[in-house]
Amino acid sequence: MNILDRELKPWLHGAVCVLLGFCVLWAMMTFPKLHFVLVDGVNNALYYPEKPAMELRNIVKYSSNWVLERSSLQERVTRLELTNRAMSEELQKAGIKVSLPKEGKVTAKITLRYPDDWWQIFRIDRGSKDGIKEGAAVTSDGFLIGRVTRVAPNHSWVHMITSSSFLIAAAVDETRDLGVINGDDKGNLTLLYVPEERELKVGMGVSTSLMGQHVPPGIPIGKIIGSKESKDGFRPMKIQAGAHLTQLYSVEVYTGGEKKE
Amino acid sequence: MTWLAMLWFLQDFVQVFLMGFFIVPNIYLMTLLLMALLPATGKERQIMIIWAAFVGGLIWDFRWTNLPGLTAALNAGLVAASCWAWQKIPAQGRTPIFFAVIVLAAMLFSGSVHFALWTVSSQVALRQFFVQQLLGVPLAIIFSLVYWKVSERNV
Repeated sequence: MNILDRELKPWLHGAVCVLLGFCVLWAMMTFPKLHFVLVDGVNNALYYPEKPAMELRNIVKYSSNWVLERSSLQERVTRLELTNRAMSEELQKAGIKVSLPKEGKVTAKITLRYPDDWWQIFRIDRGSKDGIKEGAAVTSDGFLIGRVTRVAPNHSWVHMITSSSFLIAAAVDETRDLGVINGDDKGNLTLLYVPEERELKVGMGVSTSLMGQHVPPGIPIGKIIGSKESKDGFRPMKIQAGAHLTQLYSVEVYTGGEKKE
Repeated sequence: MTWLAMLWFLQDFVQVFLMGFFIVPNIYLMTLLLMALLPATGKERQIMIIWAAFVGGLIWDFRWTNLPGLTAALNAGLVAASCWAWQKIPAQGRTPIFFAVIVLAAMLFSGSVHFALWTVSSQVALRQFFVQQLLGVPLAIIFSLVYWKVSERNV
């Protein structure tokens, strides 16, 4: 530094830093794997120092929401219990044996959501150690909000349903019409490939269709709020996500009841 | 430098605590500007501060932004540019008000570049940007008061 100081000026160091910064930016864009390794490295190094702040944040958040959420959750639980009881009775009458559902959800806190990728990805504080697998469904308030795309031992990255590169098979609850849910990177959802002759109405629910072992069918996604212009015999339907995608703090990740690694 | 590391962590903790509500103003950059523009700061120290701005910005990028290198370049560039501008004006003009203007301009420029490079223009992002800038104003005033007090002591 002293040698440089004798020959150079502060502004020149500034210029070197700017150039270096843009070189790093270029390198990270060119080599995304290196980018993710470094991001994960820094995030892992900061995991424990940041823990008190994260815990404090959650305490404040949960304390403020507890009173508000409690009554609505209580109502929801009661409603679900009644529905469940009625369904069990019907199944019993029909002589169908029902296997007990596996315990298969992990609650995770969101530890990073980039403003520049707000509707595309976020990071959660649970990983393969907690039984999370790549491709697992991620929900909030019971509604699908994305799928796990990358898993590390202590954290995972979630690809959101609002991303333009997100595609997932979905069905309209009332009519069983199948389509594909796709985002637009701006917080909007569209149900694609619905034949235009189908009469889908505003307010109809949309939930996941069978996608594989990590995304169970029947997870609610949202409801139809309108339609777009027909194209090639299909009419894309506008979908309103059921979850509050702008207010995500913690999520549930479907693990399918598999044992932790 | 220990103080700078602690300050970086403080900003990081505040960001963790307020994640999802808004983006915390760049307190680290404000402190570096304060340190770099104090009358007692020599060129050698200014150079160290510029590199500290770069390193702090780079780690911040890896933690909080999706464009690693951008905050590093902006932090270092803004500190260097501020030092240059500060040097160019007469000593009588180096007032706390002018210091506040430099800090605010640096915050606005840094925030705007980040906002312009966000791939998505959404109301959420816009709200976060505005809150960050608005919070930067009282902080800039506090920093210029600190500048005023410290530079007075040095005279």
